[in-house]
Formats: sequence, C-alpha cells, structure tokens
Amino acid sequence: MSWKTIDRNQQVVDPKAPPVLTEAVREKIRSFFPRYETKRAVLLPALHIVQDASGHVSWQAMVEIAGVLEIAPSDVIDTISFYTHFWTEHKGKRVITVCRSISCEVMGGAAVLEELKTRLGIEEHQTTPDGKYSLVTEECLAGCDHAPCLLINEKLHKRVKPADVAKLLADPENDRIPVPRSDLFDAPKDHGAAEAGVGTTSDVQEMREA
Amino acid sequence: MPKITIDNKEVECRAGIPVLQAALEAGWDVPHYCYHPGLSIVASCRLCLMEMMMPDPKTKEMVWSPKLAPSCQTPVRDGLVVRFDSDRVRHNQDICMEFFLLNHPLDCPVCDQAGECYLQDYSYKFGRPYSRMMDQKLVNPKKDIGPRTLLYQDRCVMCSRCVRFTDEISGTNELCLVNRGSRTEIDVFPGKPLDNPLQGNVVDICPVGSLLDKDFLFKRRVWELTGTPSVCPTCATGCSIRIDHADNTIYRLKPRHNPKVNQWWICDEGRFNFKYVQDAKRIAAPLVRRGSETSCPDWNDLPQIIRFRLEEHVREKGDQTVAAVFSPFMACEEAWLLARFIRSVAPQATLVLGPIPMVGEDQRFPVGTTNGDAKFTILREKCPNRRGVGLVLTSLGGPSLEFEPFVEQCKKGAFSAAWIVGGYPTPWVSKDTAKIAEGFEFLIVQDIFENELMAGAAIILPACAWTEREGSFMNAAGILQPFDRAITPPEGAKRDGQFLFDMAGYSGLYMGDRVRAMMAADIPGFAEAYVPPPEPPFAH
Repeated sequence: MSWKTIDRNQQVVDPKAPPVLTEAVREKIRSFFPRYETKRAVLLPALHIVQDASGHVSWQAMVEIAGVLEIAPSDVIDTISFYTHFWTEHKGKRVITVCRSISCEVMGGAAVLEELKTRLGIEEHQTTPDGKYSLVTEECLAGCDHAPCLLINEKLHKRVKPADVAKLLADPENDRIPVPRSDLFDAPKDHGAAEAGVGTTSDVQEMREA
Repeated sequence: MPKITIDNKEVECRAGIPVLQAALEAGWDVPHYCYHPGLSIVASCRLCLMEMMMPDPKTKEMVWSPKLAPSCQTPVRDGLVVRFDSDRVRHNQDICMEFFLLNHPLDCPVCDQAGECYLQDYSYKFGRPYSRMMDQKLVNPKKDIGPRTLLYQDRCVMCSRCVRFTDEISGTNELCLVNRGSRTEIDVFPGKPLDNPLQGNVVDICPVGSLLDKDFLFKRRVWELTGTPSVCPTCATGCSIRIDHADNTIYRLKPRHNPKVNQWWICDEGRFNFKYVQDAKRIAAPLVRRGSETSCPDWNDLPQIIRFRLEEHVREKGDQTVAAVFSPFMACEEAWLLARFIRSVAPQATLVLGPIPMVGEDQRFPVGTTNGDAKFTILREKCPNRRGVGLVLTSLGGPSLEFEPFVEQCKKGAFSAAWIVGGYPTPWVSKDTAKIAEGFEFLIVQDIFENELMAGAAIILPACAWTEREGSFMNAAGILQPFDRAITPPEGAKRDGQFLFDMAGYSGLYMGDRVRAMMAADIPGFAEAYVPPPEPPFAH
C-alpha cells in the first residue's frame, strides 16, 4: 500500500478474554428494557451503568454492550464517541478536572494544579500508579464565581487553595454527591428486577461486592 | 399525478417523491450529496435547499418563505410553488460548497474519483474558484476499513450515505460516524471491518473520493474509461451493470439503476467477477482433429467443416444419435442459432440444457429479512440464462433432456455425436461428466477454458465471455434483458454470436436485436426485451 493507513482489520478485542461486564451489570442494563420501545434505546443508560461500574468503557465492554442490546458494536462506538464524557481508555477511579479558564487562572488555579501534580506525582492526562486518580484540565467548569475550582468525578470543589489540596485528597468522600441524580437512574421503583439484588449505580462498591 | 411549479415552469411528477427527485427527473441540476433515492432521507448536506411559496401568517397571502427548505425532505403536493433560480438559493449553495471544501486536500491529481467527483462538479458549477481558509487544514488519517475498501477521510463530505447503506440495505451495520462536529469521521469498529457481500456499493454511492475500491485503486483515470451497458452473468438475478473498459481491458464493473431488478446495487461477487475474462489461459484458436492429424483452420472454413462432418455422421448413424448441450451462460440468441443449426442437420437431435451451478443458499438483504421484504437478493443459481435457454429449447420442441439423464444416456451409448457448449467461468466438468467424452465419435466442445472433455473432441472451439458477446439473458423473474459487447475477444477467437449466425446459414453481421426479432416470430416470449429507463442526467 502506497499510503500509510490505520488498519481497521486488526482485532482490538480478544474473543477468548473473559467478559468484563458482570452479570449484575448486565442485569441492570436489561432492567431498562421495559422503559423503551427498542433495546437500542437503552444504549445511553447502558454506557452510564458500565462507566459507573468500571470507570471507563473499554473496547471489550463496547462489544459486550452491543451483545446485550443486540446491536452492532459500531453503533456503540458511534454513540460513545459523540459524548465527550464517556471514557474509552483506562483511567483512575477518580478523575480530577482542574479549570484552566480565565477566572480560575487569575484566582490562582495554576498553583492548585501545580500542587496537585506534586502531591499525586503525575502530569496532566496521567493516572497515578495505584489507579486512584487521573488528572485533566478543562476550559470552564461553570463555577467562575467560586474560582478557582476543580471537579472530582462529578463533585465540584469551590475556592480551592493550594494548602487545601492535601486535605482534599485525603478525604475519602471527595467525589460523593449527596443528592441522587434522578429517580429513574438511582432508584428505579416501578421495575422489580432492578431492585432485587442490584444496588444503585452510585453505590459502585456495593455492586462490586455483589 | 401532482403538478408543481419549479422556477415558473409547471412540472408533472410522480406522487410521493421529494421535490428534489421531481426536479432532477424534470432535468434540473440541483446539487445534493446526502440524498439518495434508495436510502432514507437525512437532509444533512443542506445543498439542495430551495425557496418555497407559503401563506403569510398575517395576511394569508402566498409569499416566498423567509427560510430556505430542504427540497429532499419536502414531498411534492399539488400546487406547490418552489424556485431554485434565486439569489438566496445560489448564495446558500456557494457557502455550503465553501464549507465542504474547507478542509478538502485538493489532491484531485492523485484521486481516483477525479472526473466523476461531485465535489469537482459542484465546486465548478455552484462554488467559487478560491478558498478563504487561512488556517491549517484538519488532517485525518486514511483508514483500511475492510479487505476491499479504503477510506480517505480527508475527502469526506459527511453525507452518511455509506453508513445508511450498511444500516438499511446490507443490514450489517459496519460503518458508523465517530466523534462530533468538525472532527466527525466515518469509521468501523476495529476488528469488525466492512466485509459484507454488498460492500462495494458504498464506493459507488460515495459522491466524492472518500471511499475507494482497492481493486481499482490507481489503475486508470475515469475519463479514459468507456462505459458499456451490460447484464451481470454471475447469478440468475441479472443485475444491470456498466462495464468500464479502456484499451480492450475491463477495469471495473458498476451497477446501473434498474427499478425492476437490482435498484441501484450489485453484489461484490458480480462486481469482481470479470478477472477470468482477461485470463491468459483462455482458448484463443479453433482446433480440428481428424485421426491423428490436427489443424487450426480459418474461421471462415469452419462452418463448412462442421456441417460436412456432422452430415456425414447423421448419414451413417442417424439423426437420433446427435445431441447438443447448451450452456446457461449462452445468450438466448446464441442458443437459438445453435439449436436451429443442429436441428437443420439432424431434425431429431436431442437438445440438452447444461448443468446449472448452484452454490450455497440464496442471500437476502438486509440480512435477516425474508423473501418479501428483501431489498436485494443474491441467488444460489450462479448462471444468468437458465430460463432463456430453457425457453428456446422447450419452444423448439422435439427431443430434449436434462443434463443428468443426458449423462446417463451417454454412458449407455445413446449418443455418438455432440456439440457441447461450456462458457462457465469456473471448471464445470465433473469426473463423472468427463467419462462421457469417450463415447462420442464426433464431439465438438466450445468453451472459454480447456476442460476434460476436450481430450476426445474432434473440434475445439474457443468461446467468448459475456463482455465480448451481444445478446440477451432472461433472469430468474423471467425478465429478458439485452446486453452489449464491451471488448473484442482474444486474438484468434471469434464472437460466438457471429460464428453461430454464420453456422445457421445467415449472412451478414450478427446483431442481437435482429436475431431477437427473428426469434420472436417463433417464440413470442422474446418479442420484448426490458431496458431500464435511464437515470435523470444530474441524479447520482
């Protein structure tokens, strides 16, 4: 071939590898089926469930989701790549997103970022060796009135000073949001199968133990 | 039929079609990328926008609507008034073309699509000759998305025709759109490449040079190719195709629109089944054996030699010992001419339809559909003209046999002279069939390639592939479709039709439609051949 090309004929998923989706995760995905007319429509909830359970959605997870929903794996990557907040590569359990926009910058966001890098021992777009934290920056977290701010998973931390970083990292609850996100997602009541045995998606730990 | 007004001209159109299709059918050149009549409508390219008359909400007076409307998504209805010939429409086409060409690499000199590219055509006709883009162009990787297809993402205009094709026609769903906005790309899931029996069509429907056929890649500039309308001989579906050739060499086969048979599509099996035509192993000269002597006579002498020796045989052994095997790859006209000749020498000769190659099962698309809903079917009967040849043989009456009983009869010594026509692209003489060659005193074998029967043959004749012949095939649905010859036979060979025309005692040039007219006098089934209506000039 005279052109340099990316070879898409190569397998990225080992067909013999053990499944990455546990039966509990699969059952939770299936519990969404009655809510929609087609199984394909469950794709977005399924991606959320898998990302909550394993932190990211790997190639193999995509193939397995496609299997559960009876769609082509290309449909899964079509959707997952449209949304920027789905992770397709391995990341730490908690993702720290530091704002690098103008308000946070003038209020000392850069110093917070430097402190985080020193404490965690990693650079941007890296993950700590113990797999606990990943570090990224983003343009704006919509918290300019509380600058500088940072996000740990889905929890926003406001007015962070470099001196607070150590305490923040030590807090085991630093990514917990006190309020449930929606009844539909966290407490499915009208469907029996979801309640029996499977915890809510925010209780990732419980689900792992199950 | 609804009547609509386009650019002050009243146009009568088919009911239920979009305005764009009506305009194209009436001869307008409306630029469009994403619209394809065989696929669902997404109205994403925005090139076909038009102005439409609508009632003013306050005065109820009919005025041009303030917004442009996509003509591909607006169905025709009686009394609709639209216009494409307006400054606002032209301005939209201009800015859309600028947008499409923003990141385009302008590599037409090395692009296979150049010459049949709708980026070139529309840029020339509706765009502007310069670019205002000052920033670095986005560069995307080239992708090897399947065993037969390459994706050159930089040239893509994101019409999503290919994605919709794998979604709706093949039903295999390999292609998808990844990422978002200006970074959108066509892609497959890694390890699940574009590999289905219809995948070649995505190259055809790509309006630009983004999807490329590896087989045709860098082979020939398209403006050097001559397109000859033909019919695919690979299975009994009989899809309409176009043979693109130059310098007596076939470079590619493309589908032609045929509303009764294949719509806009052909399968890969048919698309790439032309390589055998250019095989160096083809027989190119006739051979005559008499005892231990062999000679290569002139084509002009052959009819007399064959007639003389066959008549001699009939005098000695009687006409019931003569048989002729007709290949299902023969055109109806050729079968008729050969049958006429055989029956003129031996009126009680047995006419036999050759073996019908059957491979696997019928394949229906989209995958998983049953007979009624299928949008495309690949039949297991891998020959084009079983019904046509069969109709010739049954219409002529007299003794005839199926191939299997014929082989059995041969083993019992029922026949001592035969004319056997092959013409199969793959070896077709089984071990069992090869045994019958010994039983003949006078055997004529006509085939493209050497076969096992030829060892005992008195006369060996080169046959031609369908690209070199002219005639008609009758497909599985009984539709008779004529095809033209595209290239000349290999040097030394002669077109089957012309030779059989001479054999049957006619003089002059063999022409398919002329012979069909003669046949129609005996067999009314050949009175009318179906030629699909041409596509509108600016549709694609």
